[in-house]
Amino acid sequence: MKSDPPATASSAAETVLRGIPASPGVSIGRVHLLIAERVHVPPHKIAPSEVQRELERFERAVGQTRAAIERSRERALTVAGIAVGKIFDAHLMILDDVVFQQQVRARVEREQFSVDYIVNDVLGQNIEIMRKQPGETFRERAADIGDVLNRLLRFLRGEGDVMPQSFSEPVVLVAADLSPTDALHVDRHLIHGIATDQGGLTSHTAILARSLDIPAIVGLGNLSTQVHDGDSIILNCNSGKVILHAGAATLAEYRGKQERYLAFQSALENLKDLPASTTDGHEVQLWGNIELPFEAESVLAHGGSGVGLFRSEFLFLTRDTVPSEDEQFDTYGKAAEILAPRPLVIRTFDLGGDKLHGSINIKQERNPFLGYRAIRVSLSRRDLFRAQLRAILRASRRGNVRVMFPFISGLEELREAKAVLAEAAAELTRERIPHDPQVQVGIMVELPSAVMMAEQLARECDFLSIGTNDLIQYAVAADRGNEAVAAYYRSFHPGVVRMIDLTVKAAHKAGKPVAICGELGGNPVAAPLLVGLGMDEISTNSTNIPEIKKIVRTLSYEECRRIAARALRLDTAAEIQDYLTGELKKRLADLPIWFS
Amino acid sequence: MIQKEIVLLNKLGLHIRPAAQFTKIAAKYKADVYLIRDGMRVNAKSIMGVMMLAAGQGTKLTLECIGEDEEQLCNELMALIVNKFHEE
Repeated sequence: MKSDPPATASSAAETVLRGIPASPGVSIGRVHLLIAERVHVPPHKIAPSEVQRELERFERAVGQTRAAIERSRERALTVAGIAVGKIFDAHLMILDDVVFQQQVRARVEREQFSVDYIVNDVLGQNIEIMRKQPGETFRERAADIGDVLNRLLRFLRGEGDVMPQSFSEPVVLVAADLSPTDALHVDRHLIHGIATDQGGLTSHTAILARSLDIPAIVGLGNLSTQVHDGDSIILNCNSGKVILHAGAATLAEYRGKQERYLAFQSALENLKDLPASTTDGHEVQLWGNIELPFEAESVLAHGGSGVGLFRSEFLFLTRDTVPSEDEQFDTYGKAAEILAPRPLVIRTFDLGGDKLHGSINIKQERNPFLGYRAIRVSLSRRDLFRAQLRAILRASRRGNVRVMFPFISGLEELREAKAVLAEAAAELTRERIPHDPQVQVGIMVELPSAVMMAEQLARECDFLSIGTNDLIQYAVAADRGNEAVAAYYRSFHPGVVRMIDLTVKAAHKAGKPVAICGELGGNPVAAPLLVGLGMDEISTNSTNIPEIKKIVRTLSYEECRRIAARALRLDTAAEIQDYLTGELKKRLADLPIWFS
Repeated sequence: MIQKEIVLLNKLGLHIRPAAQFTKIAAKYKADVYLIRDGMRVNAKSIMGVMMLAAGQGTKLTLECIGEDEEQLCNELMALIVNKFHEE
């Protein structure tokens, strides 16, 4: 990842933009602007004798394009999962639109223009109509048609499939949005970073960049209108910062950051197959949080020893209808097989709150975060809940599957959910459907009332898992998405640290293991504290695993316990955070957080 | 020619997958088939055409089948619509 453009002349001022960091890393290079505008295809007249040849050319190109889309579809399913794969299903339908193909043939015969021109004209008209319609769906559909059109034109011109990538030096790809095809076929040896105006953390660009391990920032607003080919650009994909026209000093600074980042990353590589044990032999399990089954592979690739949180509600978010039991069985089973014999903890649907979905009728609530969500939806929609539990019980034969109930406030919900689980198992037995009745059951501890009842809860289940994102928000009564009160949302609030401590002690008193699966688990500063409090498992996004492992392996359990004990005696969030930061910095001066 | 007034009862309306189911059936028949919404008339054998109607749940449309096997075609399409495109 070394491409050091000279500092830009002083005429262009250094500009900083901020977007959503979608795939980590630091890249420095020159802009290659990918313009999504349609190409101009001139009307080229053909002789009547050439009509037949043009039609044959069309047939051939359609066949080649179909094969290419099918290849993309396969690749997408492998590297990015069903949601991205389905985009290419839509592309196949567009390509095989009978009316489109008939129109092309009829117009070539009647008007006697080259098939390139006619294809571009027919699909171009469709794109224009779609673009004029309001709404995101039409914009996406127009982009899909554009993607099919570009591939078809490339085959007609005999250029082969994907975009030409003959750069003489590594580039940073900048685009309004990447088409699924372009995103899928990015060559990581030539493209060292991706920056797009549109997209969020779960957009296909973000998903693909993470799977392909290319640093990326999305959601940059209007970056693509501010840059030209060859401009100097820096992406700090750890923080989401983009710097254009960097001066010599900034360039030098980021070159340093990049080198340190890469050096640190390659040092982490060596830890992959080692356990997360402290220097005095206390082992902690590092698990991954996933949303799609194939991400389990990424957890293993990053040296994780299981999945501590499979967010099953993502089955809803990537499709338009309620997922069937068989589809869920398939999804859970796939992830379980990838991980076996390592554990897969499936959290039952956490719908509601901020994760609303059209196929579940959830009324507008005055206070959704105190409302109808997660286990509360499941317990009142028994049809959905039973289908999910049946799928989990069936999938558990394919690996080490555990089930986890979210948003438990006390013993009532846990007992009720366990009763539904027992019913589902009895049903499967009656129907002679193979399943594993011995699935381990755990709960999320994310409500203050569950913390206070943790010991009793732990006695009636097999494990606890602390969901810090919600626990913090409910403990301090602050929505971190609300700027006016976000400052009150403090991960290191002494009240929160004490709640974690209470939960761990309660679980251990009941003889049960306890995990953390909230964002705090991926925070390097928190790692010595969590280990010192006695956390058995830390579950976090797979990309955080190597760094946390490095920290665990550098410290002794004894000093982690000392650090935790001291943190518990401090009075404010700021004091705790400063103390933990200082302790970590003393021991690990080369962590990327100190310089990005 | 057969004309039928229809109301889309399925949740997704003529979103891409339901539209694909619709056009797949339409393509099997010789008869021409059109969907009309507020004066916009599209060829219902074309997925791009059907998508362009932007027909969501509750949309009223006119289905028009013209040709020798129009009756079977119309029946099969009506069955799909009445069964809400087999959505759950």
